[in-house]
Amino acid sequence: MTNIVPFILDGLIVAGYFAILALSLNMEYGYSGLINFGKAAFFALGAYASAMLTTNGYPAFLGVVVAMIVAGLGGLLISIPAIRVKSDYLAIITLVFAETIRVILKNESWIAGGVLGIRGVPPLIDFRNVSYETHLIIQAFIVMTLFTIFALVGWLLTNSPFGRILRAIREDELASSVYGKNNIFAKAVVFGLGSSIAGAAGSFYAQYIGFVSPDLFILAITLQIWIMSILGGPATIMGSFVGALVVISINRGTRLLKDFLNLPLDTNNLMFILTGALLIIVVIFKPTGILKEGRVESVRRR
Amino acid sequence: MKVLDDVKSILETRNVSLSFGGLKAVDNVSLRVGRSKIFGLIGPNGSGKTSLFNLITGIYKPTSGRIIFEGRDITGLQPHQVYRMGIVRSFQYPRVFFKMTLLDNLVFAARGQLGDNPLVAVFMRRRFQRQEMQLVERAVEILEKVGLSEYADRYPNELSGGQLKLLELGRALMAEPKLLLLDEPAAGVSPILVSKIFETVTHFRDVAGLTVFIIEHRLDVVKEYTDWIYMMYRGRLYLSGTPAQVLSDRRLMSVYLAEESIVDEA
Repeated sequence: MTNIVPFILDGLIVAGYFAILALSLNMEYGYSGLINFGKAAFFALGAYASAMLTTNGYPAFLGVVVAMIVAGLGGLLISIPAIRVKSDYLAIITLVFAETIRVILKNESWIAGGVLGIRGVPPLIDFRNVSYETHLIIQAFIVMTLFTIFALVGWLLTNSPFGRILRAIREDELASSVYGKNNIFAKAVVFGLGSSIAGAAGSFYAQYIGFVSPDLFILAITLQIWIMSILGGPATIMGSFVGALVVISINRGTRLLKDFLNLPLDTNNLMFILTGALLIIVVIFKPTGILKEGRVESVRRR
Repeated sequence: MKVLDDVKSILETRNVSLSFGGLKAVDNVSLRVGRSKIFGLIGPNGSGKTSLFNLITGIYKPTSGRIIFEGRDITGLQPHQVYRMGIVRSFQYPRVFFKMTLLDNLVFAARGQLGDNPLVAVFMRRRFQRQEMQLVERAVEILEKVGLSEYADRYPNELSGGQLKLLELGRALMAEPKLLLLDEPAAGVSPILVSKIFETVTHFRDVAGLTVFIIEHRLDVVKEYTDWIYMMYRGRLYLSGTPAQVLSDRRLMSVYLAEESIVDEA
């Protein structure tokens, strides 16, 4: 157990980019009621866009920006037909979109290396020549900074008259439109922004692990983000971080556990059992998640 | 037709029809609603009253016919565009936002909010916050008027059915409508709250010149508060006149009795 520090730092970084993904889902689903089963696709779009750019010599910072633009545009492109109708259609379309993107990236090797993916993606800020621990601390700092920026934007957006429109759309779309709100516009904005934020997480992810391949963006990733969102509290900002931290803690904790305990079952399975049990407990006893939705803090009152 | 001759009409439907497959929910209805008056719309269940409201507010598009509001053709506009023209409605079964406080439910409905723009919401908070303070003040006043001020910072799930209707009325008034459509505001509401609802509406008619078009089943209420009554029956406009004329009309009774005898036979 000599390498506990990098292990914990790595866990924190993973929790960080999952928190960003869960945050984007919270804005779409938690506040606006838009069901997105294709989160992994926007994560992948960001990761691939960034990886393709930076491995061709462009600066890593530009990778993040382009990743956000590509994923955001992708989100708008597929959501606009679906958000004109009921939200169920969006769920199906995003699910299909995610699988389509993954299968295309896997089979069309001329686009981005097929099953092998893209290797040698440079990190945003490289400190590996100093020491591995320092490098990880810097990466953790980057991902926390990204999360803070997006959380701030998310908070400002959801605690404003526009945020009231989002909540109204989630509660009752018809009443929202009868009271003069352009629901389609609001849904497009939040879905585009959510996809864009997921793209930024993808860019960071590619730069952190140094490569991308289609098998990193399977449906299980989307479902994990959903679990984090529901555990932490869908209609909250900080719930995304809490949810990500809880799920990653279980994930990493069970891995450590096998060094201390002689369990009759695979610790990997134990992780699924614990996560599932926790999800059931939260849904039964605290259906709104660990954190609770607050009121719309558009102005200071009292 | 004295009321209609005296004042200019604010809303007019011209031969409006709505079909669902073979069923004609609204059949060739032409009517006019006069400015700054309270108009009643009565008729048995399924006679097309709510469908007519849905047509006026853009939730449904008419199969044929035109809807004119303040001299402008509003046929086929989206609900949020109809709202911008100055038409606001309430719903038969209150459709309030249960995860928002009463105050937010009201402020939501206000017109021309700067913070409805996402860029302003994030980057120029000062700009909308000043407006928001004024809107909150106005919302508190309206909540006082409808008698819900003690619930301002609470959530609608604490309200009774009648209070929810008052909340809907308050939300509609917050939108400063020129024409207010109320869908059965008195159904299932205690007598005290009914008079509260109608006194508020009458007050806004007299003070602000509000035009109100009300669907109502309770004929005693209609008789007391409306200036003019339309009656629909099986999708058609069946009767129209002053409350005294319509309510004493023999055809009204025959329709209501006929409907009842059908129910009895079933």
